[in-house]
Amino acid sequence: MSIIDLTSMGEPQSDQRKELNDRLAKLQDEISDYCFQCARCTSGCEAHKLLELEPHKIVALLKRGLLNELLNSDVIWTCMSCMKCRERCPQRVAPVDILFALKNMAVASGKQIPGKYTGMLQSILSIGLIQDIQQTTTRGNKTVKRDELGLPPLSKPVDVAKFQAGIMKIAMEKV
Amino acid sequence: MTMKKKYALYPGCLMPTEQYAYEVSIRETLPILGIDLVDVEGFSCCGEPMKSVNQFLTLYLSTRNLAIAEKHHLDLFVPCAMCHLALSECHHVLEKNPAMKERINSQLAAEDLQYTGKSQIVHTVDLLHDQIGIEKLKEHVKKPLTGLKIAAHYGCHLIRPSEIGRPDDSENPQKIESILKAIGAEPVNYPQKLDCCGAPLLANLPESALTKTGQKLQAIQEQGIQALVDVCPWCHKMFDSRQTKAGETVATKLDVPVLYLTQLLGMAFGLSAEKLGLELNLSPVEKLQQEATG
Repeated sequence: MSIIDLTSMGEPQSDQRKELNDRLAKLQDEISDYCFQCARCTSGCEAHKLLELEPHKIVALLKRGLLNELLNSDVIWTCMSCMKCRERCPQRVAPVDILFALKNMAVASGKQIPGKYTGMLQSILSIGLIQDIQQTTTRGNKTVKRDELGLPPLSKPVDVAKFQAGIMKIAMEKV
Repeated sequence: MTMKKKYALYPGCLMPTEQYAYEVSIRETLPILGIDLVDVEGFSCCGEPMKSVNQFLTLYLSTRNLAIAEKHHLDLFVPCAMCHLALSECHHVLEKNPAMKERINSQLAAEDLQYTGKSQIVHTVDLLHDQIGIEKLKEHVKKPLTGLKIAAHYGCHLIRPSEIGRPDDSENPQKIESILKAIGAEPVNYPQKLDCCGAPLLANLPESALTKTGQKLQAIQEQGIQALVDVCPWCHKMFDSRQTKAGETVATKLDVPVLYLTQLLGMAFGLSAEKLGLELNLSPVEKLQQEATG
């Protein structure tokens, strides 16, 4: 199984894109009736000051059908998923969920996945966790690992082949 | 005689692979309070770190973990706010979507797993505050942290979205403050309390992530608060493990002791620094230890 299968959740990718398109179209339809651009989401957005994310504009752009522009934009990857927008929207629009859907769709349509996401995914695939046991340093500059602290063995998938097969089957199904 | 309450400890990824101080202090303090933690084999990532890449993968991984707990007939104690969100949201989604539940279950059958949704999911904050209770915490205090001014950081994922049921209020959480009062400390109200730690940006915008961390810590330092307490390995990784680097982003020498709530609780219970993994904190927690004992 390749990382491509996992990121796109299977072949053929055109079907995948269609599914995601439908999901986004649904979001587009629903939000078009509700969002009245009060920008309360943006006023509380954790990524606004630092990274210029403006959730109400994301909603507005999607509403106007500028899907490709959004998928190609780095700004969808600045969301910190604090969920304040979802919590505070008087119209229950949840820009954070729209951003997750956009990022998923960007990945499924073959755009490059930024940062360490691919590495984490590879790690999940091989050991079930985003990373293996790390050696850490104490304040006194001693190095330690979990067994030296008397901690029990790490809980992770025992039968990795079965675990991988499970993910693979899910990947081959339609979302 | 109080009944022992059993929970499967769901460790997630970050706590058991690097944030050892949380795990060590959890395993020391909770049994004192009548909590029996069961180690279960076979758990995987909760899936939340993959939500930006593929939400369905998140849902699948969460369901799988919940099914493992069910197989052992255990409720889950989930100390990571991010894992707690993933598992709680999974439960919420599958309750509303039986077809999805069916589909995932048919795949989980290959691993001899089945999800029905009967396991309860608790986090450190509601376990301490709601299940164990403030009165019981008070009974175990041997060294009250009298007069220590401490700021609480809840973590975004712990308190939102309220729609799915979270351990505390999304805008005015107070349970950590109640716990701090119970152990003699003085919780401080501060304007940045709900600000994000920055961790969700670690994967793709690490500099910005650290800037968020630095900004919050700088504000805390300027207000003369003696320590910050947190309840999530991601938040702690930012505030404690990366504090020096976070300081560089705001051009400030940061010097804020940051502890897990379970470490602070253990201090009040009279447990040794070694038992609480206090040497694992990279922030200057010795300042707080001196103030607590002196």
